[in-house]
Amino acid sequence: MTKHGEGGSFFRSRKFTDWATVKEALIARSIDAVFILAPMAMQLRADGVPVKVVYLGHRDGTAIVVGTDSDIEDFGDLRGKTVAIPSRFANQNILMHRMMKKWNMPYDSIELQEVPPPEHPSALRVGGVDAYIVGEPFAAQAEMDGYGRVLYHTKDIWEDFISCVLVVREELIEEDPDLVQELVDGIAKSGKWLDGDLAHRMNAAEMAAEHYFGQDPDLLKFVLSKPVDRVKYTNLAPLKKDFDEIMELAFEIDVLSRRVEFEEYVDDSFVRPLEDIDWNMELLPEDPDGGIR
Amino acid sequence: MKSKILLSAAIWLCLISTAHVWLNVGFGNLGHKVQVMMGKEKPVLQVGFLPVT
Repeated sequence: MTKHGEGGSFFRSRKFTDWATVKEALIARSIDAVFILAPMAMQLRADGVPVKVVYLGHRDGTAIVVGTDSDIEDFGDLRGKTVAIPSRFANQNILMHRMMKKWNMPYDSIELQEVPPPEHPSALRVGGVDAYIVGEPFAAQAEMDGYGRVLYHTKDIWEDFISCVLVVREELIEEDPDLVQELVDGIAKSGKWLDGDLAHRMNAAEMAAEHYFGQDPDLLKFVLSKPVDRVKYTNLAPLKKDFDEIMELAFEIDVLSRRVEFEEYVDDSFVRPLEDIDWNMELLPEDPDGGIR
Repeated sequence: MKSKILLSAAIWLCLISTAHVWLNVGFGNLGHKVQVMMGKEKPVLQVGFLPVT
């Protein structure tokens, strides 16, 4: 997240620790823009909250992790096991449903347990769950610490997997579309820069660990490089075919209270071709706080 | 009598508006919004996130 865009507007990040608080902040309009789980955005819209998905946060960046010495070798081996998911509104839950359908397993053949993302690795370590599915860096945490191994990266089982999406209140789109455009352009440019060079990723890992995530920089470097396509930051336009599939699968397992049409909850008018945008470092204004440029 | 009612209404309106700005908007935020409208400051947008991809 850049602190300001080339247009000079300031974007301040606000860290949350659980999805319920994020949702409430968005409903109460104490925040106008937030990265949330894709199915959660759909359900907010189904509940009448005036929000729109305007961009994606990233592609892939999720893994199913099992214990290093576990006898689980493929998805079928998860039958009858307990698997941690971040939230029932997470696309990781939808992915489990999609995989169970593919493997001809009923949705209740695996016990899915909602666990906050930071607690996934420790739940596996103490034997509270047999496996977990979560976004990075918590999948890599167990792998790097030596007690977990990746059963599947999402890139291998659901190509271009979507997890978090950028949602903004409709009032903001109406009141200040230029600000939303500046935000979307900034994310697109950051993604293009990140995916353009491994050195950029290492630089970003150091910066994000220190200023935003409060996590071990080596862990973030691991996530961004092993393998390098573990998480991707380009191809972030919200596409109807992707969202329709997520919506139908979510509706099948009652994550959504009703079907929600793509046009109801997505505004893709802020998406611009990547070749039309690029960082121009000379144009960035000085940060009066002396913070990150 | 009429002027007393009008004066009371005006005072009440001032007090309730001040209380609204104080409790729901914030004087700093209001000042910033005025500066943005006048083109003297750039807008600030808070973007929420969880430290997970």
